[in-house]
Amino acid sequence: MSSFSITEPSNRTKWFAGTLVILYAVITMIPLVWIAITGFKSPADAIAYPPKYIVGSESEAGFQPTLEGYVNLFTTRTRQTQDFLDANPPETWADEIVRQYDMVIVGPSKFGERFMNSVIIGFGSTFLSVFLGTLAAYAFSRFKIPLADDLLFFILSTRMMPPIAVAIPIFLMYRQLNLSDTHLGMILLYTAVNISLAVWLLKSFIDGIPTEYEEAALIDGYTRFQAFYKVVLPQAATGIASTAIFCLIFSWNEYAFAVLLTTANAQTAPPFIPTIIGIGGLDWPAIAAGVTLFLLPVMVFTILLRKHLLRGITFGAVRK
Amino acid sequence: MSDRTIDRVAAATPPPVARKIRGLSDRAIAWIFVAPTIFLLLAINIFPLIWTIRLSFTNYRANRLTREPEFIGLRNYERILTDSDIWLNMQATAHFLFWTIFFQVLIGFTLAWLINKKFKGNDLWTTIIVLPMMLSPAVVGNFWKFLYQPQIGLFNYIVSFFTGKDPSSFEMLGQVNLAPWSIVIVDTWMWTPFVMLICLAGLRSIPDYIYEAAEIDRASKLRQFFTITIPMVLPFLMLAVLFRGIENFKMFDLVVQLTGGGPGSVTELTSINLKREAFEKWRTGYASAYAIILFVTVFGLASIYVKALNKVKER
Amino acid sequence: MSNFINGLLRLRRGPWEMLATIIIAVGVFMLMQPFVIWAFTYSFITTLVGTVMFIIVSHFPE
Repeated sequence: MSSFSITEPSNRTKWFAGTLVILYAVITMIPLVWIAITGFKSPADAIAYPPKYIVGSESEAGFQPTLEGYVNLFTTRTRQTQDFLDANPPETWADEIVRQYDMVIVGPSKFGERFMNSVIIGFGSTFLSVFLGTLAAYAFSRFKIPLADDLLFFILSTRMMPPIAVAIPIFLMYRQLNLSDTHLGMILLYTAVNISLAVWLLKSFIDGIPTEYEEAALIDGYTRFQAFYKVVLPQAATGIASTAIFCLIFSWNEYAFAVLLTTANAQTAPPFIPTIIGIGGLDWPAIAAGVTLFLLPVMVFTILLRKHLLRGITFGAVRK
Repeated sequence: MSDRTIDRVAAATPPPVARKIRGLSDRAIAWIFVAPTIFLLLAINIFPLIWTIRLSFTNYRANRLTREPEFIGLRNYERILTDSDIWLNMQATAHFLFWTIFFQVLIGFTLAWLINKKFKGNDLWTTIIVLPMMLSPAVVGNFWKFLYQPQIGLFNYIVSFFTGKDPSSFEMLGQVNLAPWSIVIVDTWMWTPFVMLICLAGLRSIPDYIYEAAEIDRASKLRQFFTITIPMVLPFLMLAVLFRGIENFKMFDLVVQLTGGGPGSVTELTSINLKREAFEKWRTGYASAYAIILFVTVFGLASIYVKALNKVKER
Repeated sequence: MSNFINGLLRLRRGPWEMLATIIIAVGVFMLMQPFVIWAFTYSFITTLVGTVMFIIVSHFPE
């Protein structure tokens, strides 16, 4: 059954449009798929020419998948003499992999630590910005605040600032306050960056909740505050959740502040990944493995967010 | 209805007093709710900004703690705005801005237009296309560097596969004439979905009856496209262009990872140049003036952006 | 056009915002154009004037 409409595209048009879009989608995925594959290659296969892309094949374009990249990503290794290697047989599968280069694993690499820093700073700043953002968004949405438009513009404009432009005094300020290269310092900084998004986005979600429920609650004897957390918050749950994911993604991805203000203790993954060095140059499989692990959560979240994506990237202006 | 004493007292008193008994007044709550946000932004954004403005009039160097900074008036601004090297960096930025926006609008709008034909499964493919946009720009720059490697990189391989050129005959990141295009390609790959999503919202905001009316008036499809589709999507497109313009004007992470500003300084966008002045040469005062120039430009564009945002919101 | 001038004279928000927008756009163009260096030199002051003007005129009545 087809509803008749003169604006409905013909089947041929649809087929044509579909083909082109799918073609673009496939092309756009090639770099990502390639990085994911590279993570499972040996260093030699990763830089082979012509590129090897068939898994497990013996042909010229084939390669044997290996977890070398992941092992190298998570460990530090040293080369040992043959005598030492003979005296200490490999204990785990990871040992076996590094043995082929006459090496032994001597400890974990910094990657796990940096990844955890990303998690701690990401979740910390997300929690703070969503918490503060919800309060401010509710106030902007429901109350008459003098100069509300100017305040909202001021809040948004802070996000537009070039990070390098504010990094200079923040660097000096953090040096004075002993906040440089600390988790707290980075959490506060990312919160300040994310809060503008949180306020604007949550305001658009809360604007969409009818005021009748709260008014009814107020008449029933709730205080404003009770009405806020017993009536409005549950209804804004979806909005709060998607705002949180946006904030998480942005602090997860941030690089400029991280590279300028952290060196070791609180360094996050983005400045760390490019510095992974292997034997004779960059260890591309290990980097690819790190990149894959780092990007995967964001992709999952993007798919979860797809309904609210547009609202998020336009600061709540376009609701679809 | 509850019958707590407090409510009965409240019911018997005049409204303003009643509200005080029940809890804080609306006004107090409004301020309590907004204050932490404003305070945080003042501390971490506005205070540093004012500090930058102050530093921009001095010759302070952050790596020399013992030397007292001198006030030198507008000399930093004078030096930056007459420096032909910085002018060249601005032009590199302009090249990057112009071509990324050109390609992103062209491809993004076409894709949105195609997706709006509502073929089967368009939601799924839209989600896949959108993925690059949400990734970390620094990490994206890092792995594209791998794809761009001469000899071994996938990009050179694919180009040589289709054109028959020797894959080791060109270096996307190493050649002065190609490097500016290498960053345009990656940025376009990453951000086309952004323009696409906004255009799609614009296309979907056009009600069907307008087209139906045009059909009845026997306007050709082409005419409909130029008199209905384009004007109706334009405000959305403006929004996308302004946003990409602002973001790419201050572009740092993607390009720093990809080319680091090289070869020479052909891809040294203003932010990268600024980072060099501030954190490598440690000319803090000079870099502060530079930062203020960039900031004012972004702020100006941002005010236009918010105007465009409100215009779209009214729709 | 006469509407525009009329709006300027009566200090209406619309036309003044338009004017400020144009000044900002000209300033940004001057900053990044590849033609003459004096335009680059005076770009900053142009953008600054446009931006300050925008902030002021956005408080004019509609």
